[in-house]
Amino acid sequence: MRNLSAKWSGDRIELAAMFAFLAAVILFFSIAAPNFLSLGIFRSMAFQLPELGLLTLAMFIPIIAGGLNLAVTFSANICGLAAAFVVQSALMNHGIVAIPAALLISIFTGLVIGMLIGAMVAYVGAHPILVTLGAMILLRGIGETVTRGGDISGMPDVFEVIGHGSLFGIPVPMIIFLAAVGLCFYIMQFTKLGFSIHMVGSNPKAALFSGINVNRVLVWVYGLSGALSGLAGFLMLTRFNSVRVGHGESYLLITILACFLAGANPFGGFGRVLPLAVGLISLQVIASGMNLMGASQHLATVAWGAFLIVVMAVRAPFQTKS
Amino acid sequence: MKAFTKINIGIAAALLASAPVLAAAETTIGVVVKQGGSPWFNAMEMGIDQEAEALGVNAFMVGPTSNDPALQVRAIEDLIARGVDVIGVVPNDAQVLEPVLERARAAGIKVITHESPDTVNNDYNFELVSTEDLGIAHGELFANATECKGSYAVYVGGLTVPAQNAWADAAVDYLTEHCPDMKQVSERFGVAESVDDSRNTTLDLIRAHPDLSGILAFGSQGPIGAARAVQERGLSGDVAVVGLFSAGQGRRLVHEGAITGGFVWSPLEAGKVFVQLGQMLVEGKEITDGEDLPLLGQIKLEGNNIYANKPLALTEESVDGLAELGL
Repeated sequence: MRNLSAKWSGDRIELAAMFAFLAAVILFFSIAAPNFLSLGIFRSMAFQLPELGLLTLAMFIPIIAGGLNLAVTFSANICGLAAAFVVQSALMNHGIVAIPAALLISIFTGLVIGMLIGAMVAYVGAHPILVTLGAMILLRGIGETVTRGGDISGMPDVFEVIGHGSLFGIPVPMIIFLAAVGLCFYIMQFTKLGFSIHMVGSNPKAALFSGINVNRVLVWVYGLSGALSGLAGFLMLTRFNSVRVGHGESYLLITILACFLAGANPFGGFGRVLPLAVGLISLQVIASGMNLMGASQHLATVAWGAFLIVVMAVRAPFQTKS
Repeated sequence: MKAFTKINIGIAAALLASAPVLAAAETTIGVVVKQGGSPWFNAMEMGIDQEAEALGVNAFMVGPTSNDPALQVRAIEDLIARGVDVIGVVPNDAQVLEPVLERARAAGIKVITHESPDTVNNDYNFELVSTEDLGIAHGELFANATECKGSYAVYVGGLTVPAQNAWADAAVDYLTEHCPDMKQVSERFGVAESVDDSRNTTLDLIRAHPDLSGILAFGSQGPIGAARAVQERGLSGDVAVVGLFSAGQGRRLVHEGAITGGFVWSPLEAGKVFVQLGQMLVEGKEITDGEDLPLLGQIKLEGNNIYANKPLALTEESVDGLAELGL
């Protein structure tokens, strides 16, 4: 019981630290960048964050389980392609129905892809990096073959309501992202599956001997990751009104960066969803703030790297203590 | 739901529109290019900076770190939030940008695209040289170099590359009309993105067709490979090599007479045009067909597309300067 309360307060410190970093970054840009504290900037960030955010959540769960899913971006593309294909061939004139249909197809396709990857990791026993690297190249190949490197574009107009619309002033993509964060938070923190994922990541042998069906957990880990990628694919489809293999390719390494920034342990087992969300917002603030200052985009990458290193350095003494 | 969206976009537009008024009267122009850090777009940035200084406006280039179209969307979203007056784009993927450009225009921002004739949500797209004019320029040069004698071959980078094949079509049409005696030795070859393939094909063609008088190559490596083959055979000057290539890579071959010449368009000029057109739009000027613009010369206006005829000649005199720019 004492352990539990100590762990909880550790989480609180982590979250508070991430908020402190976020506040520091916002403070910096409010001083350095003209007009930073404006509604327009925050709306712009709220539109940009979700696609990267969803992909990061998709990366986060396997990392907690001691793995990695390098296939997230291309899974998202394939899911978007599947949804776009069905919508274009059957649902062009069915108005609003196309949206839930595309959403379900994307998530389901992602779930299937993810569970197949999970089964490979669990039952073949190959390292997740190898399996997901293979899956990444396979998915890209499939997508490029099917589309011949071109794109599927021209969705019904209702898609723009999701990708570029707002509800009560909050961009719809942001609402989707927050819902996904809430769901992940609930699963990881309050369900048996979430607990098992942490245990498997922390020590798979011990988890096995304590009666957790490790293989089944791994299938679900990558299934969840795939479903989140599918959601990201759906969101990209609504935002770009088009899908092509390679959209969002550049996000892959940034998702891993964001996970470690938020305190996920590279060796698995530790990391929480809420610091992740706050960390992502910090990264977005840096990117948009640099853009606002008219700095080179390459400099923004430098700032991201520097930010990660600073956060790691500040965190290091606390981690060795526990 | 849609009504909500409309209202919200309206509110956002009103907020954004009021922002620049409060800030300053100076025109702000942001140009998002395909990818930062390449010689081509460094030259474009130079053009943007030069023209910005000349006109006294605030213009800058945003170069994403990779050619992922998603990054261009993010950059444009930040420009909308910043409340610039004009957004310029060289799209990686025209389709992906349509929704965000629509939002930019709804916010009262002028949108100018370059090398993207199919974009719908823009005020104008400009091309420094139309596909047809670039093909014809090559055809003319080729006809002069070969004096309309002998047979010739056409290289493209790939048989499915739209721009290169359209250039080749225009050039071949020109030659068919003006040099009725010239013959193409065979269908076009898809070798022009590889130095080796272009060189080998040219060696084979020289062997097989003694009357070969020239090679027309539309693909970055085509003229280089063809010129090497011609040089190896000691035929520099006898077999003309015409096409577009990078100045830095081809300058030595041009000086040695193995490459006859070619045409490209100048990213530096394109950068200047972004700024000049942007300033014109902000001042509320309309652009009309046949108008004579300071940088573009006499233009053709087709729909939203402004076509200038400003091919940039790659000649013995110009290659060194262009190579200095890293092009």
